Amino acid sequence: MLMTLGVMIGIASLTVIVAIGDGIKIKVLDRITSLGFGPESFSVMAGAGRLFFARSQNTTSMTLEDAEDLLALPTVRLVVPRQRKSIQLINKKEFTSTRVYGVTPDWQLARGWEMKDGEFLSETDLDRSKRVIVLGATPAKKLFKDKDPVGKMVRVQNNFYEVIGLLEEKGLTESGYDPDDRALIPLTTSMTRLTHQTYLHSIKVVALKASQVPETMEAVRQILRQNHNLSVLAEDDFRFITPEGIMQRVTESEQALNRMLILVSTVSLLVGGIVIMNILLVSIRERVREIGIRRCFGARRSDITIQFLFESILVSLLGGIMGVALGLGVSFGLERLNIIPTHITMEPFILSFVFCSLIGLIFGIHPARKAAFLSPEESIRSQ
Amino acid sequence: MNLLEMNSICKSYRNIGIETKVLQNVTLHIKEGDYVSIIGPSGAGKSTLMAIMGCLAQPTSGEYILDGEEVGKLNDRKLSRVRNEKIGFVFQAFHLLPGVTALENVMLPIVYAKNSQGNAKERARALLAKVGLEHRLHHTPGQLSGGEQQRVTIARSLINDPRIILADEPTGNLDSKNGIQTMQTFDNLVKEGKTIILITHDPAVAQHAGRIISILDGQIASDRNLSYEEQTRPL
Repeated sequence: MLMTLGVMIGIASLTVIVAIGDGIKIKVLDRITSLGFGPESFSVMAGAGRLFFARSQNTTSMTLEDAEDLLALPTVRLVVPRQRKSIQLINKKEFTSTRVYGVTPDWQLARGWEMKDGEFLSETDLDRSKRVIVLGATPAKKLFKDKDPVGKMVRVQNNFYEVIGLLEEKGLTESGYDPDDRALIPLTTSMTRLTHQTYLHSIKVVALKASQVPETMEAVRQILRQNHNLSVLAEDDFRFITPEGIMQRVTESEQALNRMLILVSTVSLLVGGIVIMNILLVSIRERVREIGIRRCFGARRSDITIQFLFESILVSLLGGIMGVALGLGVSFGLERLNIIPTHITMEPFILSFVFCSLIGLIFGIHPARKAAFLSPEESIRSQ
Repeated sequence: MNLLEMNSICKSYRNIGIETKVLQNVTLHIKEGDYVSIIGPSGAGKSTLMAIMGCLAQPTSGEYILDGEEVGKLNDRKLSRVRNEKIGFVFQAFHLLPGVTALENVMLPIVYAKNSQGNAKERARALLAKVGLEHRLHHTPGQLSGGEQQRVTIARSLINDPRIILADEPTGNLDSKNGIQTMQTFDNLVKEGKTIILITHDPAVAQHAGRIISILDGQIASDRNLSYEEQTRPL
């Protein structure tokens, strides 16, 4: 019973760990796809540094001229220069905080995002720095409830913007990221009235074909370095965000996570195995007589070894089955109670089957050999 | 030709550096169909002699030939085969597997037999019937009386049709009625031609055999054949 328990806990933690690992992986992948990348697009962010959380210096170098130069590249289909600011939108007594992007009309093409109502930003809006705004579904609901927001006014800081369009609702992603929580205004308006800056936060580049992304990136790098007067030795003052780049980082963190998980489960399985070994050794002491009887009637050492190995494998497999059941229960509970996302796959079943057999085998060998090498004469006499 | 031949067998145990000689120069020959008792006080070396006879232990020195095979030179695998095919054990403490039915206990030696006969179950059933337990096939040892348990062990010792039956104090744990019944079973087996070696400290039990070998301090003190009148005959 105790041996089954040891293996059970090991396998349960393994199952939970695999489920959590998969759950987190799915969540991260989900977030990445929700960033809105197609395979032929990538972004250039102003400022060097790491992908997430990094405070980057010199973020003032990227300008509209850069964007125009990039558009001139032969492999580039679209370029969307962007500014971004999180700020409050106000409609009378209702207010909500959202991400406001200053973009060009090409944004809609680059994202392929349909309108639910009204129009998207036009070239005229951009040229005249009009105070117009396109709302995502989330701020629209918060500010206008069920009413149609198109034609109404929204206040941002001290300026009133006319709502000219409403984006199609995409809905929450599994991970809880809300792509609808955004609003879009003309880039020129953003520069003069929102951020009071002329530099860009990022440029989204859409290549003609997905296969042209690497060469396009290299060309973009050359142009930006030239425009920013960077010496040969200087590092880039911008960074790329590509679907591949993100995937690579995800894979790296996933691998690190997996390594940790494997370590934890190995330790618990090792403990389970040692428990099995000790209990088998104790049980041999109790069963010396049985071993003696079997030896008297013709059991060879190998017969006894096989018998004990078989028993230890059976016991650990039993523990494995119970462990998988417990682990599935815990994983399901974690998911249900919204503690940690989990995802249940076939892997833990196969893993635990293999692991348990191995544990039974490895930790059963010593006790089994010990049982087999007892002297039949002495074991038959023991009481 | 002798079925069992022991020539100057010695056995000593080494315990914390002290050597204890249990058997010294034991020489004895037993023919097929013999009914032999080995008697002696406790500590005389009877059980060690039986362990060597039963291939459960190897002698320290000397030659032991069983059914033409020099047992002292066999490895574990071959010794196990000899135990399985040529020897049937009957123990004082029965040594049945607990929690296993009488039928399965009787079939235990077949599990380890090289060429197991297909009708093993039938044979086990027949043997249990022979010892008068056909109504107890599916009882576990805990549900059987001492006498019944001992009869199960006799059936078990016969299942592989061994050359010798080694009985170590077979009546030691039984009351006199069951003891007599057990001895009668042995007597009948001898009449069928089986070779039986009885190890006991009880002279009355030993009297059933046709030959009594007495052991004292690890040596054979006497070895005599009983006359027809001396022997306890089966009723």
